[in-house]
Order: sequence, then structure tokens, then C-alpha cells
Amino acid sequence: MNEIVSLNIGQFALIYLLLIVVLIIMKKCQISQTKLLFVASLRMTVQLVLAGLVLTYIIQNPHPIFTISYLLLITGFAIYMVLSRNKDINRRFKVIVAVSLASTGLSIVAFFIMIVVGVSLFNPQYTIPISGMIIGNAMTGVSLGLKTFNENIRAQRARIDSLLNIGATPKKILIPFVNQALETALLPTLYAMVGMGIIALPGMMTGQILSGTSPMTAILYQIAIIISICAVTCLSVFCSLYFGYRTLYNNKQQIQI
Amino acid sequence: MFSLKNVRFKDIIRYPDIQIQQNRITFICGESGYGKSTLLKLLSGAVSPDAGEVFYNDKPNADYDPILLRREVLLCGQSAFLFDSSIRKNFEQYYSYRDLPAISPEQMQMYLKICAIDISLDTPCTTMSGGERHRVFIAICLSLRPKVLLLDEPTSALDDMTANTVLTNIRLFCREHKITLIIVSHNTALVQSYADDTITLSNNTCEKGTA
Repeated sequence: MNEIVSLNIGQFALIYLLLIVVLIIMKKCQISQTKLLFVASLRMTVQLVLAGLVLTYIIQNPHPIFTISYLLLITGFAIYMVLSRNKDINRRFKVIVAVSLASTGLSIVAFFIMIVVGVSLFNPQYTIPISGMIIGNAMTGVSLGLKTFNENIRAQRARIDSLLNIGATPKKILIPFVNQALETALLPTLYAMVGMGIIALPGMMTGQILSGTSPMTAILYQIAIIISICAVTCLSVFCSLYFGYRTLYNNKQQIQI
Repeated sequence: MFSLKNVRFKDIIRYPDIQIQQNRITFICGESGYGKSTLLKLLSGAVSPDAGEVFYNDKPNADYDPILLRREVLLCGQSAFLFDSSIRKNFEQYYSYRDLPAISPEQMQMYLKICAIDISLDTPCTTMSGGERHRVFIAICLSLRPKVLLLDEPTSALDDMTANTVLTNIRLFCREHKITLIIVSHNTALVQSYADDTITLSNNTCEKGTA
């Protein structure tokens, strides 16, 4: 296999020319988000450069404390992102979301690294990129699931009140909302799986092939990671909503949204 | 059957001590903002008072199983919700939410007729007018045969003639089946025609009338 061509700064800078094209089109179409384009590009560059420096250090000096800190940091950040996008849920619901996201995310990461790959969880070369993908996708899934659930129960207040008034149990009333939100959160992953390998080669596999890994090995990793993403999305959204919806009603069976 | 003692709700509404009799038609009247709809919710246990107590059959509401209480004291609210399907499917879905087998199409037709609805059970509810939807919802609530039926503005979307037909039929049905009716209404003509008792809520006072 050929080694990847290292990009020098001059070559690398050329890619930013594409952003100028985006900027021109945005200006032409009077999209008022040009500031966001600058901020997003700048943040992305700075964050990734910093991540590159940190990862280089951690991989060259592997120590369990670094890997554990990294895992805790990204899990905490994922929880923060989900909760900051879904501010209007009650405190107990927030705790359930945090515990669900952390426990399902870290369990799937541990299963993937220790059982499927068969290396130590403290091996930064495996744990860092794989946990990032798994927990990142759990974050997106829970965020989407919670948003859908919240929007639907608020939009369908009349349905909830009518069913409650005729003597239906809160569980029976709210479970369809949980199921619908779980479906909405799972669909992007399922659709991505359908098109995978035909429409695009997924990111991780592309990266591995670029760096000289045999495409067959890259494919096995890719399949494993996609199944893990599907599982973590399903589990984290299910646990968050299935245990979380119970915080919406009290012992008098009154639903408080 | 019902009595209220020193009931307060959210520090905004303070109810006078009210008594409501069994097997009668009690109308609750009064201007907007004096807690007529909230009173119905308090009676069915959909909301709880912040102070004082609501009694149903001499036992505090709080001592009942809330779900069983709501099945016995059924609140047919103002925001009548129907699923986006046919009338028949709506009956079936409401019954499945109550864990009950659906009633026969003939029975469905009978309850709809009480509410002055004489259309096919396969009519999609999405194509019906607001008044028709409300009456279908009342028919479903009535068919669940509660001991007490609480109706919140049941005739607000109806013309006088239909409102009279619906209330005449409901009164007859409830008398026959010993269902206590408690109705919130703004329509004074209807109150005069159908009320056995009236409770008028105003600022911290309560006027009682008996027909």
C-alpha cells in the first residue's frame, strides 16, 4: 500500500479557496449568514488543530489517565450539548438523559474496543477516534429524539388533555410520543446505511484507505462502526425517553408539560 | 355528591363552598376568568387545588385512584380532540386508550344520534365542521357511560336549534341512565331551559339557584 501524501501548508491552504466560492454564492443569494460561515470555518480550523496537537501528544505518550479524561470530556460535552438544545425539560428528565447518554455511549465504546477489536480500552489510538464517533452520534440522536418528543407533546396538548380526561393512563398516552420520537431519531442513521458504499464511502473508511489500510480491513471497521452507531442511537434515545417520559406525570396522574 | 371546602387554585381563584347534587343537571355560569372550566377540572381530578379540598361522595378526591375517578367523573373538555381518521376509528381509538373493546356500529350510531349527528361512521373527521367534531367527541364521552359527565361549553359552536336538540337528548339519556350532568355554559337561555340547579361564580361569591 502507498503511504498517504502529507499535505504541506501551501497545498493545504488551497482548500480554503472553496470557502470563497461558498461566500460568493451566499452574498449573491443574500443569505445573511456570512458571519456564521467565517465563525464556523475559523472555529472548525482552530478546534481541529488543537485536537490534532492533543491527539499527537496522547498517542505518543499513551497513559490511561489521558484516555479516561478524553472519554469523560467528550461525554460531558455531549451531555451539555444535548441539554443546551433542549432547555425546557424538567430537572429529573435532564438527569435521566445525562445518565442514559453516558451509560449507553460508554458501554457501546467498551464493547467495540475491548470485545470486537480486542484491545485495551486505554489504547488511545482506538478509543479516541471510535468513542468520538459513537458518542457524537448518540448526542445527535438524543438531541433529535428529545426535540421531536418535546415539540410533539406541546403541539398535541389537546390530544393529551382529552385522553387524560376520559381516564386513559399517562403511560398509554405518552408512549406513542416516545415511539414516534425514537423512529425520527433512528431514521437518519437507517437512511445513511441504505446508501452507504454506493453514494459515498463513509468518512472513517475513507480515512483508513487514504492512510494505507487495506480496503477490506477498512470496510470491516466501517461496518462495525455503523452498526455501533445504529445501536447507540437506538439505545441512548430509547433510555432517555423511556425513562424520561415518566417524569412528566405525578402520582395524581396529572401530566405536567 | 360533590362539595368544595375552602378551595383555592393557584392563588388566583378562590371558590366558595359549593354543593352539587346527584342525578341532577347543574349549570355553572359566570363571567370569564372566574374559574368555571377549572372547577370542572378540580371535580374530575385533572388538576388539584392548592388549598382546601374537593369531596366526591363524602370522600376527598385525593383519596381516590385518579384514573378510576376520571373514568367515573368524565370531563368532556372544550378542546374536543379527534384523531385524523373516521368517526368509527375515533370511537375505536378512544376505547382502546381506555382498554375497552369497541362498541358496535349500531351503538355508535345511537350515541351520535343523541348528539344530533346523522352521518356515516366512515366519514373522515378531518372534513367535519368544528361543531360536528365537538358533538362526535361528546358522543364518544357519553358512550363511555360515566357516573358524572362534565361538559365544558358543549353548545358554543352550535346554532340554537341544534343546541336545544343535543341538550334535550342528552338530558333524556342521562336521566334514564342516572348520569349526573354538570355543564359550563354562557348561554342563559339554555341555562333557564335545562338547569335543575345553577351555580354562578363571580368574584369570591357564589349564587345558587334551583329550578
